[in-house]
Amino acid sequence: MIELEISLPLASFRLELAATLTADAVAVLGPSGAGKTSLLESIAGLRPDASGRIAIDGELLLDSARRIRLPPERRRIGYVPQDACLFPHLDVRRNVRFGMRATDRESVFDEAVGILEIEPLLDRYPATLSGGERQRVALARAIATGPRLLLLDEPLAAVDVELRERILPFLLRVRETLRIPCVYVTHNTGEAAAVTSEALLLRRGGLARQGQTLQVIREMMTSSLDPDARFDNVVAGEIEAGREGDDRLVFRAGEARLIVPAGPAGGQAGRAVYAVAPEDILVSTHPPAHVSARNVFPGQVLSQDVSAGGTWIRVAAEGIEWTVRLTRAAAEDLGLEPGARAWLAIKTHAFRRLR
Amino acid sequence: MTSDDLSILLLTVRVAAAATLLILPLGVGAAWLLSRRGGAWRTVAETLLSLPLVLPPTAVGILLLDLLRRRGPLGGLLERLDIEVLFTFKAVVLATAVMALPLLVRPARAAFEEVDRRLPGIARSLGCRPFEAFRRVTLPLAARGILTGTLLAFSRALGEFGATIIVAGNIPGRTQTMALAIFQRHQIGQDAAAMRLVWVTVVIAFAAVLASELLSRKRSAREKG
Repeated sequence: MIELEISLPLASFRLELAATLTADAVAVLGPSGAGKTSLLESIAGLRPDASGRIAIDGELLLDSARRIRLPPERRRIGYVPQDACLFPHLDVRRNVRFGMRATDRESVFDEAVGILEIEPLLDRYPATLSGGERQRVALARAIATGPRLLLLDEPLAAVDVELRERILPFLLRVRETLRIPCVYVTHNTGEAAAVTSEALLLRRGGLARQGQTLQVIREMMTSSLDPDARFDNVVAGEIEAGREGDDRLVFRAGEARLIVPAGPAGGQAGRAVYAVAPEDILVSTHPPAHVSARNVFPGQVLSQDVSAGGTWIRVAAEGIEWTVRLTRAAAEDLGLEPGARAWLAIKTHAFRRLR
Repeated sequence: MTSDDLSILLLTVRVAAAATLLILPLGVGAAWLLSRRGGAWRTVAETLLSLPLVLPPTAVGILLLDLLRRRGPLGGLLERLDIEVLFTFKAVVLATAVMALPLLVRPARAAFEEVDRRLPGIARSLGCRPFEAFRRVTLPLAARGILTGTLLAFSRALGEFGATIIVAGNIPGRTQTMALAIFQRHQIGQDAAAMRLVWVTVVIAFAAVLASELLSRKRSAREKG
């Protein structure tokens, strides 16, 4: 549990925020300049001008009233900043080892390197790495210190970077294997939904919403609270061994058996994460016949929200919640009300592999 | 080179090395403090530190002499401690150190300013105490500028003349460095002997500046990938 009561002067306003976070993974959402990075820096202890109270599982990190301010080196918080902030004079190996003590077991290093798949990068210098590689090294460097909390600040630019560069699949893996609680700043609400169950939505100066991630995202999408936010349906599951035809794979997620493209990587069985844009899903009120899409299944409409960008429909199908974006006219024609039956059709190539 | 030349060279190198070692911790500390955002006092401090660059060296010498004379503010203390400075090897070292200090501080300060301010913070969050973060991150990242400054200061110390002759005199075998010896030999008409020393100083200065160039290039190539 993280208790926050923070007051922090920023360039053009003061960030005031009070929240108690109980989930293991919390998303921090909101437009650029709302103070998300400053919030993470305050929790990490890197903002000497932050005042108020911060406690993790009852241990006080900051309490201005009682003049308690734990220095960053005693907070045991792993911080992965936006641009990774690797040490440019050290190679990747020494970056990852930076926070390890002589008494730490070697397996900690091996585990961090293994989870983040940075073995081939170990002898390189940060200047030669891509943005995604730097993020992975920074995440490995943070988890190698055995933190009790991870703070991860995804750069705004990551929204547009190539799928293979995204940190999300690695973050999922860190969560699964190490079970370190995390606070995750992202502009992709689909990724936030895939990793976290609770979310804070900041606006300039404070907290706009707090609640279940999906609920907060719904409110975001139907308002203009973050114009930069993107949404992807993020689906994690298992690739089955063998191929479905020449160029397709079978991907099991939830109760669904999905047909996805094999891609250049080929058909390695194992964990995988795919993204589907909400515009790439077709909705029908009747079982569609004679369509080319390989993935067609029935579901039930959960909600329908109208926003400036279109109409957002959430559909539960095959144990997964799908978010679909339709034009307002199309949504009105279909007349989908919550509780109604609907069929989804997704082309094989609408599935883009994150990992 | 005669044995006289050689002993003058050795004395000069000893003076320059001692002066450089003396100002290294002071200069690096001052450069780091000056590199941090600060108020008016930092501007004043920096101006004071830079004065030896622009004052006539003889003026600095006179100021030091005044500071160190028996009734002076520092001289009294030194006399009680039974430490003799004026007209000794120590005086040469002190005078050259004061004259060389700004040449170390300026490039070192610029190097500290170029270090990403967030990096020491990240080091702290990874478990480093403040000094450890400085030693493992800030210092190595500023190393090139500090090295450049150190070599410049060393080169400057080899050639110091004006302040030295005031506080240490020109005593062969004790305080006579190359710059002083060249002057003396020229004064008494031994121009060929003076020229031998001139060439020695040219070679040493060339080597020091070349070394700083080469070192800085090697380092930057690796970090830029």
